[in-house]
Amino acid sequence: MVDYQLQKKSHSSIEKVKLTLGFMPLTDCAPLIVAKELGYFAKFGLNVSLSKENSWASMRDKLATNVLDAGQLLAPMPLAGACGFDPHCQDLVAPFVLSRNGNAITLSRKLFEAVNPTSSTTSSLNAKSLYQQVSELKKVGKKLTFATVYPYSCHYLQLISYFKQGGIDPNDINIVIISPVNMVSALRHNDIDGFCVGGPYNAKAVREGVGVTVATSMDIWPDLPEKVLAFKRQWYVQNPTTAYALISALSLACQWLSNIPNRFEAAKLLSQKQYINTPIDVIAPSLLGSCLTMQGEAPRSVDLYNRFTSSEDIFANQPLESDVYQLQEYFASAFVEQGADANKLTIIELKNIYSASIYQQAMDWLQQYEQACDKNVEIDALKQNEFGQI
Amino acid sequence: MKSKNTLSLASKLKVLLVETDSDKAQILEGVLQSARYDVTRVINSGIPLLKQVETTQPDIIIIDMESPDRDMLENLHRISHSTPKPVVIFSEEEDQNTITQLVKSGVSAYVIGGIDYSRVKSIVDIAVARFAEYQGLKDELKLTKQKLTSQKSIEKAKLWLMQSRNLSENDAYHFIRKTAMDNSQKVEDVAKNMLAMADMFAGESA
Repeated sequence: MVDYQLQKKSHSSIEKVKLTLGFMPLTDCAPLIVAKELGYFAKFGLNVSLSKENSWASMRDKLATNVLDAGQLLAPMPLAGACGFDPHCQDLVAPFVLSRNGNAITLSRKLFEAVNPTSSTTSSLNAKSLYQQVSELKKVGKKLTFATVYPYSCHYLQLISYFKQGGIDPNDINIVIISPVNMVSALRHNDIDGFCVGGPYNAKAVREGVGVTVATSMDIWPDLPEKVLAFKRQWYVQNPTTAYALISALSLACQWLSNIPNRFEAAKLLSQKQYINTPIDVIAPSLLGSCLTMQGEAPRSVDLYNRFTSSEDIFANQPLESDVYQLQEYFASAFVEQGADANKLTIIELKNIYSASIYQQAMDWLQQYEQACDKNVEIDALKQNEFGQI
Repeated sequence: MKSKNTLSLASKLKVLLVETDSDKAQILEGVLQSARYDVTRVINSGIPLLKQVETTQPDIIIIDMESPDRDMLENLHRISHSTPKPVVIFSEEEDQNTITQLVKSGVSAYVIGGIDYSRVKSIVDIAVARFAEYQGLKDELKLTKQKLTSQKSIEKAKLWLMQSRNLSENDAYHFIRKTAMDNSQKVEDVAKNMLAMADMFAGESA
């Protein structure tokens, strides 16, 4: 009987039941949508409304002004805040990795055909193939234009890494920021020569025949945190149990998503109007480990194209020291001219933001919660037995 | 000559208003034009908007908080070194209330170049006030529409009761209201349920 109270207690100790979470209409918002639609938030007594955001700027501003309780953020955003690059991301904590991988680089068909006359798409295309094109343009004072979604994003850092890996100086490329929803049309109108973006926009460009996906983030640097759950530190101090419940729900959603047969169902949920509002044949491939490359060509198999968690790696959602250290290295090297190298955070400061300790406390809370539930099931069974005997 | 030039520049700030909703834009455009700002309204998005920013060279950009183009405008300078740095209006403003007010009224603004902050502030204040007013009008309209439809359902349900049960208008209304009170439902919801049932039975008998 006491344990029955325990489960009730864990519900009642939640400081804030009604929550608003921000999500971006991208394939890797899946954990939030699944947690809502499959009732994982409700399981822990949370009443969550999801708020669709159209820009990272609005996500950031709404978190800063408490319009949102928590939100899905680009993994480097809290880092950019802490080292003074974005004052509005300053006091954020990111204790939960929502997803890893998921981005890709897509070239316009014109550029692809110019640099790859054989038009083979069976493997990824190294940026070395672009080298000659870039050098020739440079001679006449021109540059290729690539778009990405936000400066403090893995997309931007991966784009920089991609060029460097191919021996190209990123300064020889004109890089612009545009919203994911405008990427495909910019490529179609030859305003840009390529982009680095997350799903479903690479698949969309291929389906519409305007682009060729030449490399995924797996080919550039695999398995670093891509999106994180973030909230204000002050919010956490006021609502610790709520935070644990939130993380627990998302953790269960990620586990559900680690099962590939569930992924098509996830794609079906995501394709709905209130979420990504895009046909399922554009959303599903990356979730199923398939990278569409070029219209009329066979897709490439990229097993962990969208990674949410995995049964082999129980730490997949925990921000690891090595993750954030590596992320900072890429960040510092991409923004070296702006002084990011000199303003590096210590590992203690990093761990304070990408907080494995909050994650672990949430997992402890979840374990206690599950134990309390198990006991309740036993008690219920016992009661039924007694009743049956009468 | 030089001072005259500065004067004319100072008297007309170029405002680029990015807003797809023409009703909403008109409210602000009118006020700003009459206050002698040079307002250009655009509805473009993505690269076409970027090009327009380059040709217009505005001093300030006012854009809906919910626009997907914010990330683009906000980071014009960050990567490409040639463009001047736009400043998010409230990055200058330490006051949390002002920031919250901006976010809630759905206004975001970017200042390009080094114009006098106080002059920009007054434009933004106008935008916040006007957009809040617009939101108020929209909410009011929605409420009125809701009231009208609920009134309609109640009238229809009353009529159905009067015809099918031979009740007076007064009795019909009391019947609906009592059902609502007994079931702790809204009068409107009871009326709607009743009409749905009526439809169902009408379908069966046909």
